Amino acid sequence: MLNMSEYGLISGIISIGLALGCYVLATVLARLARRQTVMAGAGAGGGTIAIGQRGASNLAAYGTLLVYLGLVFISASLVFRTIASGRGPFANMYEFSVAFAWGILVVYASFERRYKQRALGLVALPIALALLLYAMTIPSAIDPLVPALQNNLLLSAHVAVAIVAYGTFSISFAAAILHLIQGENGRRSLPSRELLDEISYKAVVIGFPFLTLTIALGAVWADLAWGTYWSWDPKETASLVTWLIYGSYLHARVIRGWRGKRATWFLVLGFGATLFTYFGNLFFGGLHSYSGLS
Amino acid sequence: MTRTMRTQTNAQAHREPTDDLGGLATSFADIGARLWHLFISMRTGLALMLGLAALGLIGTLLAQADPALQGDRQAYAAWLESVRPRYGGWTGVLDALGLFTIFSSIWFRGIIVLLATSVLACSANRAPHLWRLAVHPRTNVGESFFAHAPLSASIASPTDPDVALAEVRAAFRARHFRTIVSRDGDTLHLYADRFRWGPFGTVIAHLSLILILAGALIGTAWGFRNNGLAVPVGSRVEVGYGTGLSIEAKSFTDSYYTNGSPSDFTSDLVLYRDGAQVAAQTIRVNEPLRAGDVSVYQSFYGAAAVMKVADPTGMVVFDRGVPLEWTSRDGKHRVGQFILPDAGLTAYVIGVASGEVDPQIKPGQMRIEVYASGSEGSLIASESVSQGRPTKIAGLDFTFVRERQFTGLIVARDPGAVLVWIGASLLVFGISLVFLFPSRRAWALIRRRPNGSSIQIGAIVRHEITFQSDFKRLVDEVELALTGPSGA
Ligand code: HEM
Repeated sequence: MLNMSEYGLISGIISIGLALGCYVLATVLARLARRQTVMAGAGAGGGTIAIGQRGASNLAAYGTLLVYLGLVFISASLVFRTIASGRGPFANMYEFSVAFAWGILVVYASFERRYKQRALGLVALPIALALLLYAMTIPSAIDPLVPALQNNLLLSAHVAVAIVAYGTFSISFAAAILHLIQGENGRRSLPSRELLDEISYKAVVIGFPFLTLTIALGAVWADLAWGTYWSWDPKETASLVTWLIYGSYLHARVIRGWRGKRATWFLVLGFGATLFTYFGNLFFGGLHSYSGLS
Repeated sequence: MTRTMRTQTNAQAHREPTDDLGGLATSFADIGARLWHLFISMRTGLALMLGLAALGLIGTLLAQADPALQGDRQAYAAWLESVRPRYGGWTGVLDALGLFTIFSSIWFRGIIVLLATSVLACSANRAPHLWRLAVHPRTNVGESFFAHAPLSASIASPTDPDVALAEVRAAFRARHFRTIVSRDGDTLHLYADRFRWGPFGTVIAHLSLILILAGALIGTAWGFRNNGLAVPVGSRVEVGYGTGLSIEAKSFTDSYYTNGSPSDFTSDLVLYRDGAQVAAQTIRVNEPLRAGDVSVYQSFYGAAAVMKVADPTGMVVFDRGVPLEWTSRDGKHRVGQFILPDAGLTAYVIGVASGEVDPQIKPGQMRIEVYASGSEGSLIASESVSQGRPTKIAGLDFTFVRERQFTGLIVARDPGAVLVWIGASLLVFGISLVFLFPSRRAWALIRRRPNGSSIQIGAIVRHEITFQSDFKRLVDEVELALTGPSGA
């Protein structure tokens, strides 16, 4: 089972890597084609342009298929691991990383379906890929759980909910980055700022309740295991900071004149805080030191 | 709309001070008004949230002293020394600013109070407005609304206004909007809304924050928490805090996986109130014992020395396990303490930590140090005692009966926790309500024209472009129904 899980992960990495390749190539091709259109006007060269554009959209479609395929592989990897360990695949840094990447991919795939903006993938896929590759470099052994983690239901619920939140925040970050790259008048071949703004907002609208729930479930669990619902443990505090930043974002964008670029910076900050919370285990110590890396 | 109104009131707050006789009263009113506008300002709220986030960030990056140390100057000073190598010359500055105990610092408390005030002010300011929008919405709007509405469309219909109205109404109803029609001579007004209760989610979310803070406050004021109640197996220990409770540990078990990491810690506990048994349970990590509002959690464990002390007449004055719950500063000894109130003595039991050697304390021995009780207590006598052999120290017979384990418990009562749980549930509920049920409002104005009727439809959207496409579809639908396939 563990071998199967490993193969699933490797296949997933290859698929996502190829998907990213397709997206990048498709973007480059589309750009070239557009530039040629501008230079050649309506006259000669029409044939190559058509080929360029068709090639780009074919490649992009393959990219999407590869994302789905990667998602299937990584899901399978997580399922095999669950079978092998008899618990949710959420108990050490290796498992968190794969699950985090999975969350990003799921949210990305659904946002791509809905908004048809593959440009998001140019930011989101590298993040997912980085997490998967990172997972490959850290110990993946299934260690038995220390007593505090032995609550299958809360462990799974707490982390699964967190994964959704982190996934959506990654997508809102991707949209934020594109938003910041996008020129004043939307000249670049990227989605319009309004659309990116909406994508970010929609992602946070899903992510924020999930993060709230993550923290609430964490409090329930802390109350059971440590005898207090809140102890200012560094990981707890970091997640509160993340929560406050996304809360600020929601409020900032209803201040007149703040929607757009200013609100977008909150998303960048928020994603920074998300990563900080996520990788926090590695250097905080504290009650959440379950990384399995020390 | 509301947003514009809010910024306008902000601007109005900056009135010139008056200097007539009523000036004092006015200026109080003025200060009040300014404060009010300050607290309902979104910018203030934002600054407070970010300020809190900044403190939280410092709290994760900077070492934090255990809150238990704060009541104890000496222990805190020792802790400060332990972090001095890390922060060097900054240690004093950081300490003076309260940054090592940031979550009980004046900064933190101040921001929490201001944030709570701001949240309350915002809710008080906004709730009546939301209520009006939901219960008494404005059901008719004039031409100019459609010129400025974020989404608007006009349709020329060959039909009678009533037919047109029916069509528009049906289109909104099909989308689960509530519709209200009013008539003004020949002019028809339609108001349509959906999820009008959704925005109340913000009020619920905001007030639930207050509930959570109130719960935390109540817990701090009226709860108690002992993070280190060590109960030797076979002994009974008072809980204190006026609870009348005592806990007996029948047994303690620690189990390990083959790789040496712990798999389970369990304690068999019996809880007594005023001597009568009130509960008995095996607790483990994640499975506390709850008795009324007091909870008992498994936390740590260690070795205890069962000690027996008899006075010269042979009467046993002490017979219990003494948890060796402290470690000496050099890490070589484990130390426990017990009091002999009648003799006015405090005894320390000192054992050798595992893996260490001390020529003074041989295997199977404990060292006993007896002090006069009280803060100035001086050492009266000390002796190493062998297991099972009574030894005279300070006129009393001390026997180290045997070594046993103790179980380390957390005992806590938190009367505010229930508010925190209600608040947290409402917070999740409120936030979900806002986002799952985004309110939508639309108006239509239908007029009779010589060749039929004119329809204007306009809608207010809060955030989404997605509603745009739905709105377009609705307009197309109405147009198709009234005029037939256009251009055909
Ligand atoms: C940690 C503190 C806070 C939390 C968790 C919180 C939560 C929320 C949430 C979830 C919404 C809905 C956002 C949306 O519809 O996009 C909201 C809206 C709102 N909040 Fe807060 N809030 C907090 C503090 C504040 C403060 C301090 C103020 C006052 C300055 C405030 C004023 C408002 C207002 C006026 C709205 C409605 C915005 C609109 O849609 O027009 N909030 N809040």
